[in-house]
This record gives sequence, structure tokens and C-alpha cells, in this order.
Amino acid sequence: MTNSIGELVGADVLLITGSNTTETHPQIGRNILQAVDRGAKLIVIDPRKTDIARQAHIHLALRPGTDIALINAMMRVILDEDLADDLFISMRTENFIALRDYLHRLDLSELAKITGIDQATIHEAACIYARSSKSVICYCLGVTQHTCGTNNVQAVANLAMLTGNVEKKHSGVDPLRGQNNVQGACDMAALPAVLPGYQNLADMEIRSRFEAVWKCSIPATTGKSLTEMTHNGKDGAIKAMFIMGENPALSDPHLGRVKETLNTLEFLAVSDIFLTETAQLADVVFPAASFAEKGGTITNSERRVQICRRAIAPIHNCRPDSHIIMELGKRINCPGMEFDNDAEIMEEISLLTPIYGGMHYDRLAENHGLQWPCPYRNHPGTEFLHKYYFARGKGCFTITEHQEPFEKTENKYPFTLVTGRGSYHHYHTATMTRNSRRLVRECPQALLEINSEDCDNLKLRDGETVELRSRRGAVQIPIQITDRVKPGTVFSSFHFFEVPINELTVDAMDPQSKCPELKVCSVNLRKVAHD
Amino acid sequence: MIDLRELILDKDKLYPLLRKLKKEARLIAPVKNDHGDTLFTTIEDIDTTRIDLENQPQESLKPFFLPQQETVASYSVLNGEYTFTPPEPAQDTIFFGVRSCDLTALLYMDLIFSKPAKDATYYDRRNHSLVITLGCNQPFDNCFCEATSSGPYLEYGYGLQFIDLGDCYYVSAGRGRGADLLEKWGYFFREVTKKDQNRRYQLFLEARGQFTKNIQVTHACQKLQKETVAEEIWEKLSQRCYDCGGCAYVCPTCTCFSVDDMPQGRSNGIRIRSWDACTSSGFTRMTGGHNPIDRTRHALKRRFLHKLKYDFANHGKASCTGCGRCVDICFGGVDITTFIDLFTGQETP
Repeated sequence: MTNSIGELVGADVLLITGSNTTETHPQIGRNILQAVDRGAKLIVIDPRKTDIARQAHIHLALRPGTDIALINAMMRVILDEDLADDLFISMRTENFIALRDYLHRLDLSELAKITGIDQATIHEAACIYARSSKSVICYCLGVTQHTCGTNNVQAVANLAMLTGNVEKKHSGVDPLRGQNNVQGACDMAALPAVLPGYQNLADMEIRSRFEAVWKCSIPATTGKSLTEMTHNGKDGAIKAMFIMGENPALSDPHLGRVKETLNTLEFLAVSDIFLTETAQLADVVFPAASFAEKGGTITNSERRVQICRRAIAPIHNCRPDSHIIMELGKRINCPGMEFDNDAEIMEEISLLTPIYGGMHYDRLAENHGLQWPCPYRNHPGTEFLHKYYFARGKGCFTITEHQEPFEKTENKYPFTLVTGRGSYHHYHTATMTRNSRRLVRECPQALLEINSEDCDNLKLRDGETVELRSRRGAVQIPIQITDRVKPGTVFSSFHFFEVPINELTVDAMDPQSKCPELKVCSVNLRKVAHD
Repeated sequence: MIDLRELILDKDKLYPLLRKLKKEARLIAPVKNDHGDTLFTTIEDIDTTRIDLENQPQESLKPFFLPQQETVASYSVLNGEYTFTPPEPAQDTIFFGVRSCDLTALLYMDLIFSKPAKDATYYDRRNHSLVITLGCNQPFDNCFCEATSSGPYLEYGYGLQFIDLGDCYYVSAGRGRGADLLEKWGYFFREVTKKDQNRRYQLFLEARGQFTKNIQVTHACQKLQKETVAEEIWEKLSQRCYDCGGCAYVCPTCTCFSVDDMPQGRSNGIRIRSWDACTSSGFTRMTGGHNPIDRTRHALKRRFLHKLKYDFANHGKASCTGCGRCVDICFGGVDITTFIDLFTGQETP
């Protein structure tokens, strides 16, 4: 997030796109609702009528995968209405002329047709967003999990820069992170092309700084992304894997290929707190300690690094992840794996990672942590990003063009399947939440959301089981008739191993981020005959 | 003969007194831990523990009498014959530094767990407990106990009630064991003067004027006896309830629980009970899948009507003690104060 979470309360316009915030990020949702109670305007872009979309002043229920067309249309309206922030554009950005000329060539009615939203509604939303100087955009995986995910984000950035709604309090662009510490994992370079703190892997000087501490040589070549690894295939280059706290055998797209990869590895080790679907395929399983049984830090969406303290001793033979890594490291003679405690690990992070430079344990214990960048010991941390300048200097407008999803609907597969987290009560592959009796009671099974109009045509009744089939696989799933989805679109979660919805999804990826298009694939469905 | 009902304890005598009490029973008091959270904690070493009487404890006394999860019985089978083992008996416990709202809640729970038969584990714990309260001179941000007649000072129900007069505590004794304590440890105390009494009344008056929230609880209760709540109010509230159960879990008077039998092997098992929440859809869902409550419209209806309408009708008092914890915890901002404001017309939907 460029903002802090608390700033959302003070915003005057909140544009939420591709995020079911109140269900999946309830704490952030709470701030958004508080802003609305204060009188802020809420605009939600989502193909589904989620709870937060119901509470929005304007819900832009776009056809899945048409985000760029919608944002371009909004930007065109902003130009037509003369609502662009000329001063911000000239001071802080570049390449505006190219974007302006491109937008002027677009036909608004054509864009409206692509998105399935009427032109007047787009016009109204664009004006509300642009007229306020305290407008915030929050986005989530509904924006990024597309073959055009990177461009979707670029379009969102263009919109914010066009109206000058960035670089100050209560306005910015906020990606909401989906796991408690996914921000920290990225910061620590659990990414293929960077070193900790997003430092360039290709830079020899930076590499040598790490090599001096780690006492080894670091390959300069970019590694592989998650989906590339799990879709390595049976003849791929990867022969062994060590998977920690991830369940790709349920969460990754096109599961047929994932299982083919995992089953044909020469060696697979998995570390998790429960025996997940992935762990069941492993040669060796490490029983990891849960969050309550270990210490360390967690970095949240607003870049805040917080200490997480151990509440209970690890049960039986479970060990914290850091212990497992260090012991493995020692056994393969990897130097520099001799940390006495978490504070010592943090000291090395501070030493090598400029944005974490001032984050020592004693400081993190105060004020519920610190927000990066925090480059030196007395630095107070950073509330919001991009004040005075962007990371690259001037913000660059990049033209983004609408691009159809990888898989189009056709006669044989007439429905669009959207997947995502489907319940407040379950988290991702439900590795943890399905071990809670109360949460299971609240959400006991997978359901396929389908519009009543489609049910009438297919003569389906609520709760009936259907076979849902794509070009890659099929699952059986009971339906839930609802107005949350529009006709032609169906939705299901990926929480339940009995209904592995990712058997159906496509593994086509965004060329830059390598994020798979989990939000759109084409399916058909038919009633399952009773015996 | 001195009057044992009301005495003064100078502040420098507090820890010496608590040290004596700790010898008689387990002593539990609010303690601020290393992470800045104030929680009721068993005092192991009174010399190194600082009792926190400045902040509101994050939890009420509920977990000590109705734990989040407890084994109510365990069983074993041998040759087809079942043997049931009751849980461990309760320990003598003195609670110190309890706020008025939380004791009022405990008195309400006494009522709930006494009918139709006395709940064995609850009353075992209750009969082994003595509660020493601390009147609130300065209400916390979300408190409204004045509106629910459960504070800031109490008239009855306590073992002992402490009121902070600055350099000393004005101590009042309740029935039974509280008065016994004053008698037994009388040498720590001194007699009440007219000046102390005046100071106490003055502080009580001042405390009542310091609430930042003005919640019309009694008005809402009375109005509910005569009028139904507009459907749009229920719908507006339900839209924002995410079924986290947080309000019920932090509420000092929410006593709903579920019972589960859990086999621990072929020949033995346990029966546990754990907190539940009426806001959950699974709470009312039938085995066949039908749910008499439509969560999208009526998620919070039972909660608020129970507390404000039925309990007021049955016991003459709402079962909300104004502790304000649900105000703090609710993701959707649809706590009981929002409902009361909407219903009594202080805010239009």
C-alpha cells in the first residue's frame, strides 16, 4: 500500500477494484466502512455483487477481464470533463501526451460495450473519483490474476496519476496483500528477480554485498516464478523441490499439470503445520510450528513490520520454519546459518536491506512496529509512499490496451468461471480453517454461485449438484442460486479439496508478473443424474 | 466497635493486604503484559508483578467461569460399562480490580446458570470465588455503564468494593466473605471520616458526568416492549455483520455455548462445551439445511432483542452492562450502541 491503513478513514472517495474487502480483509473493510459513515463515496468495481459492492454508492459490475477498458473509459471521461490534475502531471510524471492522444482515439460507447456497463454510470464514477483530492484506490487479486494483470495495475496507476491522487495523505494506490506476511516474503526476496529489499539481482555490487555476508556466490540469473515451477512438467528442468507453507496441489491453476510435476519430481520435501494435499505427495515432510509456537516478524499490507511473539512452546516435534531452514543449511554445509535468536536474524536483515535499515528488535517492540522505508536507527518509518518523487523518479504513464482473457466463452463452454476466496470462514486451501469445528459448521461445503436466470434455462434447483467442466477437467459441485453473479458468470472458491476447482482453471500467465489467470476460464455445466 | 461495612485502606497498604489474600486463595488481577495488553492474570509473584488499575482489562470475568472451551466430563468404557469422570474441582480464587460492569455481568450469569438446575461447573467456580471491584472514576472511551445501571460504582453484589480517593481506597464490604475479610485483616484499615465520605460522593458525581457516549439504553428497552423494529434497521445492521462472533466472545453476558462429544480413542472420550454465538448461521441451521433465520436480514436480531427486549421484560434490566468491548471489536461498526442509536432515532438509517 502506498497509504497507511488508518488513512483510509479520512479519504473522501474510495475506489475498490477486484477486492471483496469486507470478507477477505475485514480490518481494512472496517476502515472503509468508517469512511463511508463519515460521508465518503464508495465505488466498487467487481463482476460480483459482493457485500461491499452492495454497500457501494456505485457498483460497476464489469464483465470479467475488462478492467483496462473500464479504467481507460474513466480516464477518457476525466479528460473530456477537464478534471485531470495538470500541475501534478507536469511536475511529477512523464509520457502524458502519448496517453492523452491514445485516450482521445478511443470510442467511449465501444469501451462501455466491452465492459458491459452503461456509459452514464462510468461517467458518474469517473467524475466522483476525479473531483476529490482525497481519492484512494484499493485493489486485490481481481486485478492481478489475469493474463493482463500487470497492465491492469498500470491502468490503475495511470488513473491515480492523471488526477494527482497519490503522494499525499488519504490518497494513493493500495494493493491489499492476501496473506498476513506476503509483503514480508516479497520484501525478503521470495521473488525470482530481486534480492531482499527489491535490490537488483543483476547488479554486481549489490550481489557482492550479500556474498560477503552469506559467504557464497549468488547466481545472477533470474529464477523461476511459482507457476513456472509447479507447471514444470514431467520432463522439466526442476528435479527436486522444497515447499514451505504452500499448498500448490490445491491452490495453483490447472491442477492436472501441477500434480504431474509434483509426482514426477525425483525428490519433494514439504514443510507445513498439517498434512496438506501437497504434503501427501512428498518424500519427506517437516512438521512446522504454527504462528503461536514461534517468534519473528510479520510485515502487513501497509509495510508495517511487527514482532510476533511465541505464545506456547512447539507441540511434540514441531519446529519453527527458521529452525528447519537453518538445520537443513548446516547439513548441506551452507555457512552463515548460525543464528541464536530472531533478533540476530533481524540484525542481518537491517544490515543488508536498506528499507529495513533501522528496524532493530528493540525499536519494533514500540508502537506496534515500523513502516518501511526505515533506513536508519532514528528514522520514524514512512506513513505513505511517493512523497516528492516516485521510486523511479517521475511517474511514467504507460498506454494500456484492452485485451480479451486467454479463454473466451463459446458454444461448448458458455459460462465464465471466476474463482476466489468464497467465505469469511475459510482461508485459501482451508489447511487451517477446516480444522476448526466451528468454522466448518459455518461453511461446510463448496458451492457454485449461479444466477437464477441461468438456473431457469438449465432447469436447476438450489442445492442441486452439477458437473462443472472446462477444457482441462471437471468437478462436481452443488449450486447456490444468487444474484451475486450476473447471468453467464459462475463463481466458486478453492477452499475444498473435495471440489478442486483449480482442475478447471487456466495456467496462462501474465507475461511480466507470471501471475496466472485464475479469475477467468470458460466452463459448461450439466445436472448430475441421480442414481 | 468499629463499623466493618466501610473502611479506608491507605495505598501503601494495598500490596501488603494482597500478599495476605494471596496466601488464602489464588489471586487474579489485571496485569499489563510485555506486549501492552491488560489481561486478568494469576499473580504468581506479588513482588515483581505490577497490577494495572489504569486500563480496562481486555477480557471480562466470563472466561474464568465459562471458559472458551472446557471439558465438562470425560468417560471411559470397559467391558461395555461406562465410567464418567467429572472435571477437576474449582480452586478458591480472589479476583481483584474487577470493574463494576464485569461484576454486574457475573450476577447476570448467576441467574442464567441457576435455571432450571444449577450448572455444576459454573457454580463450583462461582462458589469458590470472591470478587473485589474497583469503582471507575474515569470511564473509558466506549463505556456507557451509567446508562445500563451497572456502574460506575456499585450498590451490591461485590465481596469488597474499592473506590480510589487519590492516596487511599474507600472500601465497602458486601455480604458474607467480603465482610469476613475486612474483619480478619482489619489492622490494615482505618476508619472512615466524614471527609472521606464527602470525597467519595463527589468523585461519584464527577465520574457520572464524564461519559463520552450517550446511549439511551432504558429508552430503547421500554420502546422495544411496545414497538417493533423497522425492517430496514435490521437489514442495515445485518449487511455489515460478518459473522465473526467477536461481539459474543468479548461480551461479559453472552453465555451461549455448544456441546460436543469427542472420542479420544476406542475406549474413552470427552464432552466439551465451547462458546458459540447467535449471530452465526450454523447456530440455527437445521440438519436438513433449512435455516429459520435469514442472515442477510436478521443476523443481529436475536442478539439485540435478547439483551434489550426479553431480558428487560424478564428481569427488569437489560443484559448489556455498558462495558463497550463490542464497540471496540466489531468490524462492521454494528455493535449494540449503533442499534440503540438507530432505534431510538438518534440516527436515521
